[in-house]
Amino acid sequence: MIIDVLTVFLPLLYGATVWLYAKAFFGDAANAKGFKTPLLVLTVVSHAAYLILRTTAFNHPPITTISEIMSLIAFSMGVAYLVIEFLTRVKNTGYFILIPAFFFQLGSSAFIQDLTKVNPVLESNLLGIHVSAALVGYTAITISAVYGFLYLMLYHNIKSKRFGVIYSKLPNLETLERMSFVSTVLGFFFISIAIVIGFVWLPKAYESFSYFDAKLVGTLTVWVLYGIGLVARRMLGWQGRKIMILSLAVFVISFFSLTAINLFFTSFHNFY
Amino acid sequence: MAAGVESMNIVTIGINHRTAPLEVREKLWFSAEEIRTTLPLMRERWFSECFMVSTCNRTEIYGIPSISNDLPAVESLGQFLIDAKSAEGHVSRNHLYSLHSASAVNHLFKVASGIDSMVLGDVQILSQLKEGFNLAQEKKTIGIFLNRLVQSAYRVGKRVRTESRIGEGAISISYAAVELASKIFENLSKKSALLVGAGETGELTARHLTGKGIGKLLITNRTRSKAQDLIASLGGSVADFDQLTNTMTEVDIVITSVESPQPIVTASQLSEVMKRRSNKPLFIIDIGVPRNVEPSANAIENIFLHDLDALLGIVDQNLEKRKLEIPKVNAIILEELKEFYAWYSSLEVNPTIADLHTHFEEIRQSEVVKHVNRFSSANDKELLELVTKRIVHKLLHVPTTMLKNGHEEPDEVKRKRIHILRSLFGLNEDANKPS
Repeated sequence: MIIDVLTVFLPLLYGATVWLYAKAFFGDAANAKGFKTPLLVLTVVSHAAYLILRTTAFNHPPITTISEIMSLIAFSMGVAYLVIEFLTRVKNTGYFILIPAFFFQLGSSAFIQDLTKVNPVLESNLLGIHVSAALVGYTAITISAVYGFLYLMLYHNIKSKRFGVIYSKLPNLETLERMSFVSTVLGFFFISIAIVIGFVWLPKAYESFSYFDAKLVGTLTVWVLYGIGLVARRMLGWQGRKIMILSLAVFVISFFSLTAINLFFTSFHNFY
Repeated sequence: MAAGVESMNIVTIGINHRTAPLEVREKLWFSAEEIRTTLPLMRERWFSECFMVSTCNRTEIYGIPSISNDLPAVESLGQFLIDAKSAEGHVSRNHLYSLHSASAVNHLFKVASGIDSMVLGDVQILSQLKEGFNLAQEKKTIGIFLNRLVQSAYRVGKRVRTESRIGEGAISISYAAVELASKIFENLSKKSALLVGAGETGELTARHLTGKGIGKLLITNRTRSKAQDLIASLGGSVADFDQLTNTMTEVDIVITSVESPQPIVTASQLSEVMKRRSNKPLFIIDIGVPRNVEPSANAIENIFLHDLDALLGIVDQNLEKRKLEIPKVNAIILEELKEFYAWYSSLEVNPTIADLHTHFEEIRQSEVVKHVNRFSSANDKELLELVTKRIVHKLLHVPTTMLKNGHEEPDEVKRKRIHILRSLFGLNEDANKPS
């Protein structure tokens, strides 16, 4: 079955892509430089086919189990990075973005199950859009955080006069800041869509719906924090190291609070 | 040219940064017009083909002597160059070097690659080589041999630039500063720079920034007229020295190159500047000795302060990286030398191969003419042509391949083989000379 083959091959494809991006970043392999983007395109296309095949074969979007969600996150990171690379023409940062994607897909492929019977509410297309928008949004803010981290590394390298691999291979500070900013805007936009659809659809789908649900409150808090960051940048002219630290801090707060909410709070808002 | 690659009849005579200091080299520098005048004279006296390269670091002549094995002496050609530039008393024979045959070819490839340059990995040399070649073409002193040689040298230069990193990384203080600016800012055309003082390195840095398309250049100096003089050559506008804090608030890059026993920019002054500019990144290049900016200013957020030592660190690091690329460059040179020698060797064996084929074809045709009337139908006659051609082709296949592939063998073996072949088939010995 093609799905089983792809389940095995996708982590290998992501692994090979990460390897090529690492070779291009840390070494000087001309072959790696030439083949890395085409291999990423192949990986992302294969992954898209895999997700479509799963949706068709099991009659529900691939959002019903943690493994399916992890695969979707890996996919959205791959797509998001590909779009960023295409738009900015900066091809040196893929290693840092794609390595989490590799681990997400590896975890997914290891534990994924083929469920044909799921909660009927999960077969809704609106839910598919809601979850996909939330995933793309969180993926974008993760990427934004990675670029923020790379910015701070390069910032400190230049400040402390260390001119090694980080200095020679990373794009300039302004580019990294711009990439982080674009990713944040995209993340904010998609999380906004997820929130709007959620507020329209969730009350109809779940009798136990509550506006004070922990996950809803957590997501709204993340959205507001990013909104404040975007406003601070626009209205107060914050830039450089300060805005990057803020971006990273919000990401860390978001990551830990949403993880804690998922682990320690009960919610109607669980799909699996 | 009847010998092997070791005795290739090519000579180069020249002067460069290794054999003579600048004040001597400049005496033998030839302008384009002087090269135009000199090339035909050299061809008339010594060469069937020749061309000349003249830059601030080298003047070299590459030539194919018009009489085989009669290489012009360094004395006579060197004296000719000295006389042509009236450099007697300034340039001596000790400043000149000469190379012959394979060494001359190897030297040209090294020059084209940039590893023989004063600035390791210099990218300008290839265009200077091209200019020399074009002048020679214009004066019609280039023939088949030098044409092929220079094309091979171009290929070496291009391959070195695409397949190695010998030309990467700044190796001058001023360029290192510009490289550093490019690591902070995305687009220098949207940025502005301020040059404080009129020091030579500072001026050079500002010049590089202008070359990189800096959006706006301001120059300030205690003596306003000096700033105005610099504006005349660099462009931009003059800023008031008394308004340094205000000016620094508006620019993105500051280059200080002032002779002053005390810092002219303090950390507290820069804290004020950063407040006024909403903490926008500011890159400060302090080339002054003693330093013009208080070093503690580097601790201020979004200020990137780099002094001479930091820039020297970048230069040293880049130079080391370039040196590491030399084996890669030598490998490219070796590959191209092999290809050039293969071409050169083919000049030797090609006449023999052609003679061999002509000899066999003559025999075939005479035998066909003798016997063709025994065949009545047109089809049979056609078949006779076809079959005899095939037989000749098959008979000659092995000796032809053997001759063509023998370019890596010692010259003596190759010559012996050609001689035996020619003796066996009674080929005319005089034909074994490329035109």
